[in-house]
Amino acid sequence: MKRFAFFPGCLIPARYPAMEFAIRQVLPRLGIEPVDLPGASCCPDPIYFKSKDKVSWLSVAARNLALAEAQGLDVFTNCSGCTATLSESYHLLKDDKLRARVNERLARIGMEYRGTSRVRHIVTLLRDVAGYDTVAATVTRPLTGLKVAIHYGCHLLKPSKIMQVDDPNNPTVMEELVKAVGAEPVRHGNWYLCCGKACQVEDLPAKMMRDLLATVNEKQADILGLICPTCFSQFDMGQLKVAKQFDEDFHTPAVYYLQLLAFAQGIPYDDLGFGDQRIKPEVLRNFEEVPATTES
Amino acid sequence: MADNGKQNGDVVKVNFNFRRELARKVEGNLANYCYQCGACVGDCPAAYYSDEFNPREIMLKVLYGLGDELIREDSVLWLCTNCYNCHERCPQDVKPVEVIISMKNMLADAGIYPKGVDRVIATFESTGRTVPYSASIDNRRAKFGLPPLSPVPVDEIKQLLEPADKGDES
Ligand code: SF4
Ligand code: SF4
Repeated sequence: MKRFAFFPGCLIPARYPAMEFAIRQVLPRLGIEPVDLPGASCCPDPIYFKSKDKVSWLSVAARNLALAEAQGLDVFTNCSGCTATLSESYHLLKDDKLRARVNERLARIGMEYRGTSRVRHIVTLLRDVAGYDTVAATVTRPLTGLKVAIHYGCHLLKPSKIMQVDDPNNPTVMEELVKAVGAEPVRHGNWYLCCGKACQVEDLPAKMMRDLLATVNEKQADILGLICPTCFSQFDMGQLKVAKQFDEDFHTPAVYYLQLLAFAQGIPYDDLGFGDQRIKPEVLRNFEEVPATTES
Repeated sequence: MADNGKQNGDVVKVNFNFRRELARKVEGNLANYCYQCGACVGDCPAAYYSDEFNPREIMLKVLYGLGDELIREDSVLWLCTNCYNCHERCPQDVKPVEVIISMKNMLADAGIYPKGVDRVIATFESTGRTVPYSASIDNRRAKFGLPPLSPVPVDEIKQLLEPADKGDES
């Protein structure tokens, strides 16, 4: 087992425990052990709290990273917002002056940031630590014929110099992971568009989401696959608003990739919290009728 | 818009106080390197969906020191979606989104903030998380066989949020 510090963030453990459940189920099957980080706080979020005061934002992020350093582990994130904050902080804190300012604050609580724990988004663990073939080998219920439109979101890829995950202009990691569960990845016209969550003006994100869902719809995708709980909440809740505002009900269920993988690994639909979604991925039930080849 | 200062042969007066204050924020000084090429605009969703917002123009306002047009109630800066496309595209490493966030730090200093943003920050500062705690969270976690949320030492977080005594904090 390869060990990584598990940084769950806020949304996943508090609002979407089904995602946390899926992560904890999936990783050990891939030879990865998630190690808890007691005392971890919000990353803090790169939209709201960062807008208040970047130095405080960096200091709290450095504290979270220092918790992983104390365990001698690299840290993995499961939310693109946490990834943005922690990766960017890791990058910014290479600057000696800034690091000294942050460490001055950390000294108040008897901690020090050293920059020894790297930050990895969970999809990079699947790609680089486990490997696509290993992921595919754990699938007992291939989702053959399922069309998955991919929403990369922004902070998995950008800024690419800091995130270092994939080519932001032509990424492949999500496509490959969707193929690994036997499904068919679909790139829609607005794949590059942001979910709009950070924008503090109402009509703009609604228009963005409408346009994005329209191109997903053109491709006749069954679900929208994504890897960030913030994007998920935008599409799951927001889609109802879009339906009302534009009188266009695309009804495209969003699915967090790790839940999709857990399902393909044989975990029952009803155990994975899909029933709690506003727009439920009922289409997955079709795959349950065929019993999984080996029991999980 | 931002070009107004140049009309009728007026001499442009740059407000250096605003620029100095912005430069004290982390990465707030980067607009200095902007050569107004507009590469940040093409993939900017806020610019595409709104006529009011344009990252190149915002950087130009910064260069002119037109802080009053940006550091104000209902600032156009809140249209930014934080997508980082401008950061990706800028050939000068200006990181327009970071300059914009640094200006949001100035909005915070001035105490002018949209309500939704304020609320999330207050929740974070008092609990260490952005989602307010309720017993129903732990009940839902139990349904998935997960333990209750692990506690955050809020006192530690609060200590980290105190600015240093020195005047150079931002
Ligand atoms: S891409 Fe960079 S240099 Fe060009 S206008 Fe935008 S901020 Fe300025
Ligand atoms: S981060 Fe903001 S300014 Fe930059 S491209 Fe995205 S919406 Fe536009």
